[in-house]
Amino acid sequence: MDLFSNLALGFGVALSLKNLALCFTGCFIGTLIGVLPGVGPIATIAMLLPITFGIDPVGALIMLAGIYYGAQYGGSTTAILVNIPGEATSVVTTLDGHQMAKQGRAGVALGISAIGSFIAGSVATILIAALGAPLTRMALLFGPAEYFSLMVMGLCFAVVLARGSILKAIAMILLGLLFSTIGTDLETGQERMTFGFAPLSDGLDFAVLAMGIFGFAEVIKNLENPETRDVVRQKVGRLLPNLAEMKQSALPIVRGTFLGSALGILPGNGAVLGPFASYTLEKKLAKDSSRFGRGAIEGVAGPESANNAGAQTSFIPLLTLGIPPNAVMALMVGAMTIHGVIPGPQVMTKNPQLFWGMIASMWIGNLMLLIINLPLIGLWVKLLKVPYRLMFPAILLFCCIGIYSINNSPVDVAMTAFFGLFGYALIKFGFEPAPLLLGYVLGRLLEEKMRQALIISRGSFMTFVERPISAGLLAVAVVVLVVALLPSISKKRNVVFTE
Amino acid sequence: MIRPRIAAPQDFAGGLFLIAIGLGALWASSGLGMGTLRAMGPGMLPKSLAVMVAGLGVLLLITSIRVEGPALDRWSLRGLIFVLLGAFLFALTIRGSNLPFGFTLPAIGLIAAGPLVAIVSAFASPETKWTEVLLFAAFMTALCAGIFKYALGLPIPLAPWLLGY
Repeated sequence: MDLFSNLALGFGVALSLKNLALCFTGCFIGTLIGVLPGVGPIATIAMLLPITFGIDPVGALIMLAGIYYGAQYGGSTTAILVNIPGEATSVVTTLDGHQMAKQGRAGVALGISAIGSFIAGSVATILIAALGAPLTRMALLFGPAEYFSLMVMGLCFAVVLARGSILKAIAMILLGLLFSTIGTDLETGQERMTFGFAPLSDGLDFAVLAMGIFGFAEVIKNLENPETRDVVRQKVGRLLPNLAEMKQSALPIVRGTFLGSALGILPGNGAVLGPFASYTLEKKLAKDSSRFGRGAIEGVAGPESANNAGAQTSFIPLLTLGIPPNAVMALMVGAMTIHGVIPGPQVMTKNPQLFWGMIASMWIGNLMLLIINLPLIGLWVKLLKVPYRLMFPAILLFCCIGIYSINNSPVDVAMTAFFGLFGYALIKFGFEPAPLLLGYVLGRLLEEKMRQALIISRGSFMTFVERPISAGLLAVAVVVLVVALLPSISKKRNVVFTE
Repeated sequence: MIRPRIAAPQDFAGGLFLIAIGLGALWASSGLGMGTLRAMGPGMLPKSLAVMVAGLGVLLLITSIRVEGPALDRWSLRGLIFVLLGAFLFALTIRGSNLPFGFTLPAIGLIAAGPLVAIVSAFASPETKWTEVLLFAAFMTALCAGIFKYALGLPIPLAPWLLGY
């Protein structure tokens, strides 16, 4: 079968000694940075992007994928041990994970989260391999109009999945789109909104924007609250769950894996929803739902599996359609472009070594996390005891060096500082910045495809509804928005996010 | 007389913020041609987006007067100023720079710019202990120099005034 020969090719690439070493290094550094409280995967990847510059494209992407999983896992570790979620998706893990840690079962919580993540990762890897080829073929049917509608649908999902007011989320998407138009216009070569400032003529660097908002602004926000970090003082305890705990977690892991995988494929950061959905589901299915929030192992196993499955299947839209579904994947696009790989349907046919090698390395990366993290938990606990007053200058220094090294440009660092101010203002005015990043990421492609579609249709917007696939995608977008705006649903939505 | 009260001050400020950005973008893109739908000009999208952003700002402003919402958060100026100042100084000094009015800053490289970031930003926290910060800054800088310059070979200037690179 094709699937197996392809996977065999992939493992052939990923199992070379060099790529294994890169995968290991990626996972390790990713976890190391990801464990730092208040540093989520986006900031971690933006910070570590430059370290992959000297490596060949295949190795670089394998390492980046490793960094990504490491950062995810590091975030869960922090969530369990210190009750500080590194990012939206590990919020749920804090609920029961930290309670377990307080009961002296931190080891089991971390263990089950690693095991669940590994199982979820394995399933998701197979899913990506299986869906890769058919989705790529489908992508070839897509014209500019379909691409446009697909991105609009993704943005609508992002609005619905954002926390807080829908109005504000829409504003953030539009602002992101607006920012993406800064720089030289691709068709006419005219400079747009650059104020004659030369470094802006290539547009804003995504890493600059992401690091300003998710790196600097986060640090400033964290400094506001006096340090009240309660690193678990209890023993971490044994790591491997016993048979009863495994039995309790088995079904939640399976359910979480499928929920997370399915939601992760959605454009518009569906992966965020996975852990919430899984938690809600497990709580509904549980015989005694009052255990949740007091250290129920299902409340860690399910969401963590969903989290990892979603993190991985969100590669699917990127690798097959060339559309990054969230900010992390956008950074991947940046990294790929730096290495001369343009993500999209052609990667699989033109560069099968890279495509399948990366997919195989996903599985290896998951296995590695399981192996390296369990014995290293002691190290992470020590690292988490470093007080924030020492940690934040170090985080800032890493950020500065990372941003500088992406383009060897001091101006980028200054611009990042500016976006730090901007991001802080957003936080203070109650805007959630994630949709802004997604709008920014999709903005250029959206404009390009919209222009192309309108040229083909001679200026008629009807083209987007006359073509069946495009119309279908737009219909989904409208339905999603309308449903989210219904008062009864929007109330439930708030419940899901505040829980 | 009853003073008019705004029900959601945070949204009110957020609305103003969006309006300001929208109007700013509209002004910045004023010289760009709109084109037609058949052949969109460079200004079509920025201008329409700017109008939409400002429009949402107005909407947010209006709803904030009636619908109850959160109060404005306090801004912590101390964190804001020192964190961003640290990064800014790093940008200005890592390779040196020419400032207005004939001032120039020397290229001090990572060896000096690293501790500069750490020390300046340390002012942002009231819990800072200075000996600790100084030692830690030196340690982190050495570590970063080792990782980024020597292990990874990134072209970040280390100490141009001392080592020549």
